[in-house]
Amino acid sequence: MRMRFYNNPVLSSELKIRMRGWKTALGIISYLGVMVFIAFLYYITFIQSSLDWNRSVNANQQAGISIYTMLAVLQFILILLVTPAQTAGSISSEREKQTLDLLLCTQLSSFGIIIGKLLSSMSHMLLLIVSSLPLFSIIFLFGGVTPGDMIMLFSFYIITAIAVGSIGIFFSTIFKRTVTATVVTYLTMFALGLISIILSAYLMNIYYLHGGSASYVPFPLYINPAAGLANILQNQISGGSGGILGLGTGYQTSFWIYNSITMLVIAGLLVLISIIRINPVNRLFSWKKNS
Amino acid sequence: MLVIENLVKKYGSFTAVDKLSLRLDTGDIYGFVGPNGAGKTTTMRIVATLMRATSGTVKVAGIDVAEDPMAVRGKLGYMPDFFGVYDNLKVHEYLDFYGSCYGLSVNERKKRTDELLELVELSDKKDSYVDALSRGMKQRLCLARSLMHNPELLILDEPASGMDPRARIEMKGILKALGSMGKTILISSHILPELAELCTSIGVIEKGRMVYSGRVDDLMSRLTGKTLIRIRVLSDAEKAVRLLREQPRIENITGEANMLELEYTGNEEEMSGLLRLLVTEGIPVVSFTKAEGNIEKVFMEVTKGEDEVLQ
Ligand SMILES: Nc1ncnc2c1ncn2[C@@H]1O[C@H](COP(=O)(O)OP(=O)(O)OP(=O)(O)O)[C@@H](O)[C@H]1O
Ligand SMILES: [Mg+2]
Repeated sequence: MRMRFYNNPVLSSELKIRMRGWKTALGIISYLGVMVFIAFLYYITFIQSSLDWNRSVNANQQAGISIYTMLAVLQFILILLVTPAQTAGSISSEREKQTLDLLLCTQLSSFGIIIGKLLSSMSHMLLLIVSSLPLFSIIFLFGGVTPGDMIMLFSFYIITAIAVGSIGIFFSTIFKRTVTATVVTYLTMFALGLISIILSAYLMNIYYLHGGSASYVPFPLYINPAAGLANILQNQISGGSGGILGLGTGYQTSFWIYNSITMLVIAGLLVLISIIRINPVNRLFSWKKNS
Repeated sequence: MLVIENLVKKYGSFTAVDKLSLRLDTGDIYGFVGPNGAGKTTTMRIVATLMRATSGTVKVAGIDVAEDPMAVRGKLGYMPDFFGVYDNLKVHEYLDFYGSCYGLSVNERKKRTDELLELVELSDKKDSYVDALSRGMKQRLCLARSLMHNPELLILDEPASGMDPRARIEMKGILKALGSMGKTILISSHILPELAELCTSIGVIEKGRMVYSGRVDDLMSRLTGKTLIRIRVLSDAEKAVRLLREQPRIENITGEANMLELEYTGNEEEMSGLLRLLVTEGIPVVSFTKAEGNIEKVFMEVTKGEDEVLQ
């Protein structure tokens, strides 16, 4: 039986439910409202006061870049905070509601279930990200940021959301209870982030002690999306000098790409394990046989 | 249609299903009876491809569940003993969703939804939210859900549990209708009379082992020639028991306080002799009645000896 990717029942059913009523629209409006409000506050308190004694084209650009950076970091933090809460319950809540067996005994493959769950639980987040695009484009009026920069940033957002989301899905298939899965997902993210920074700092030290001077990025940074974001913003704003998060040496233009690839590989592995885990008869790739 | 051979399921060192074999031909309605923890749900979940067997084979329509679970899923409908529903979904959307999980087209889904709601008598609830349905209605809806892809085999794990008597009768009516459509059904229950009326065959399972399996008619005929007698005395119950034990054709004297029950194979004349004996021996008999033998009694009899495998 053919179960097409774009016709995933789990995804389409969930989207239908979400789009019903005012909740989703209200969520987007209030999210954008908060973003606009913060950007505005930021503009009048910091930028106006420091720049209006010298309103040149360049100052406007500076303001634009400054707001862009602030919004970019804000939205990034939001993705890290919201995505786990939405994905970590996707399988465990089916288990809690006693609906998982009903789903598993249909001809929907484990692959279809996991991908459908991942996409549908991330759909809200993705919608927020996409709907913030117009807000970001206002920054074009100030100049200093190009549409290409924006595409780069938003691609990275989506990859980060997928990576974090797959950690959530993974723990959702491991733990029976949504609360446990959610808490463990946050803890894991926090621990991974912290470990990657500490380990990188340590490796940097060793590198300097041995008199290293070429371009160098400590490898634990590759799993950390904060490093990728810092790299993207550095590329776009300051020309990428000074390493990444202060933890690398030399100019690394394409670090964020390797960072994205690393995260996607990890996400792929976690999704694969999740697919195997929810398959009740535990046959590796048994979904392949009939699709 | 369904062939189970030497099925074994172990949870750690505990054996939940022990060398169980079973065969259902197309059109059979097989009642699976047994006390709590007998292994009914475990067996059914293995058939429904939700669990792997420790050993043994299960084939649905000739397909091994371990070899091609996806194909098996297309052939069977499963209704678990406990299940939940999604909130936020309307009745028709609920069926539509599961229909799409079986890869049905939009038109097929619409058609099946209407047909099945008709069958389970929920047509008027089509636009209600699923979580607003009563328990009995949810169970009927879940039955309809398991029928969306028009499976040949139905695995129903206590489909009438928690239903009131009226709802049970309605459920039985629906299952009878399914039987007359030629579906093969494996249905479990604790309540034998409920199944006896509906099923063509019965299997009694206890501690993971099939202790009896056969056609309902055969099971019923075990009843013939046996009478259940209830005797109530004012006092001297012990003496009465002692007296009765000495009499022929009496089995299984049970009782508490002044109420005795026994199984008797003699005729009515001999029964009156029995009463006369008790009275002349000075036992204050209050009542002496012939209870109608029922299928529950047979069930108890069939399941009482764990190690003695009947048939
Ligand atoms: N996941 C599990 N882990 C360990 N033991 C289990 C598990 N599931 C069931 N069992 C045990 O296996 C035995 C059979 O359980 P099963 O649910 O199949 O019985 P059942 O006949 O369906 O009972 P009931 O009439 O109560 O529904 C029980 O002793 C139960 O404790
Ligand atoms: Mg059970």
